Amino acid sequence: MKLQGTHRFQAGLQAVWDLLMDADALAAAIPGCQRLAETGPGAYEALLRVGVAPVKGEFSGSVKMEDLNPPQSYRLIVEGSGGPGFLKGTARVRLEPEGESTVLSVDADVQVGGVLAGVGQRMLGGVAKLLMGQFFKALEGQLARRG
Amino acid sequence: MKPASFDYFDPARAEEALSLLARYGDDAKLLAGGQSLIPLMNFRLARPKVVIDINRIEALDYIREEDGFLRIGALTRDRSVETSPRVRQKCPFLARASSLVGHLQIRNRSTIGGASAQADPAGEVIAALKGLEAIFVIQSQNGERTERAEDFFVTYLTTTLDPTEMIAEVRAPVQPPGMKFAFEEVARRHGDFAICGVGVNVLLDASGKVERASICLCGAGPTPLRAPAAEAMLAGEKPDEKLLRAAGEKAAEEADPDEDLHATAEYRRELVRVLTRRALEKALGA
Repeated sequence: MKLQGTHRFQAGLQAVWDLLMDADALAAAIPGCQRLAETGPGAYEALLRVGVAPVKGEFSGSVKMEDLNPPQSYRLIVEGSGGPGFLKGTARVRLEPEGESTVLSVDADVQVGGVLAGVGQRMLGGVAKLLMGQFFKALEGQLARRG
Repeated sequence: MKPASFDYFDPARAEEALSLLARYGDDAKLLAGGQSLIPLMNFRLARPKVVIDINRIEALDYIREEDGFLRIGALTRDRSVETSPRVRQKCPFLARASSLVGHLQIRNRSTIGGASAQADPAGEVIAALKGLEAIFVIQSQNGERTERAEDFFVTYLTTTLDPTEMIAEVRAPVQPPGMKFAFEEVARRHGDFAICGVGVNVLLDASGKVERASICLCGAGPTPLRAPAAEAMLAGEKPDEKLLRAAGEKAAEEADPDEDLHATAEYRRELVRVLTRRALEKALGA
């Protein structure tokens, strides 16, 4: 499944980059994130309880940052599994300045499997977009609070 | 697979259901037709701690007419709406949309209230309700409120209902006798969820010009959609082939479809374009 998302942040390049490198900020912004713990440089372990409407699941997994090119881009390797299914994928994250704002773009290629992928097939892309939107909005909130 | 364990209640009165919802809130799910909830529970994708089965609440299963509206109880089965002589006479578009839901066996159980609360963007009935500018009557232990279909659907599987609320009634406006309608959809197999569907309602004035038109879409976005720009294009015009094609193009621009294993976003947009034109042709040709 291919996933794409962009978001314009009302903040400078470095501020957005710093936010994305801050594990606490990410933990607060990722929808349903119960725990995000650093296990090594650029590597995290995560526990998510996330879903839409009656469909909720608990997923545990790992996130690894690679090809760090501060403050412009990096790659995320994600792997997670839970009762309803599993996912595995890579995402390219890019930051581009645009005047006083910064445009973040995410380009991901994700494999989803298990019951969720089968039964939820019709809505998987849409829900992923929804969750990504929630994540961006939460990041916005964090940036605003940092002032 | 079998569902995860849950507590089960089957109240006979709406007040009891509301009281249970007030008590359990987010931990509870209402069970009406069960055509969406039960499979989710069987796959353990949904694991409500409490299931409130409202199928015994006969007082919620009715079709009445009052003040220019069909008032349909939330527990009314899609099959009842489909076959009701009163609905077929006063709001046949809704009967047509209901007839498109799954298979007959599903329609014997699925309810208009359940479909509305489920808010599946592929749903034909909720698209029709949006096209009809229907009104939902929503109850909780704190009282009653009404909400227009246009505001009710938020995103995938999400409405403005809070966990203590229950849809009690759906109100669909009685249609003027001259209202022309059609609902066209594409599904890979009979009974499958529609990949995309378009419902239209067109009223012509005495000179044959469009007095008003409503175009609703299912499977074209995160909620059922209207196509207001396409509708505006038709208003005041005498419909001809060129206009109907243009309306189809416009409606396709207004759609916001997703991609999945069944179809690409591009194909869905194409379906909106073609089905809008087809539905309009069918409605006007009748």
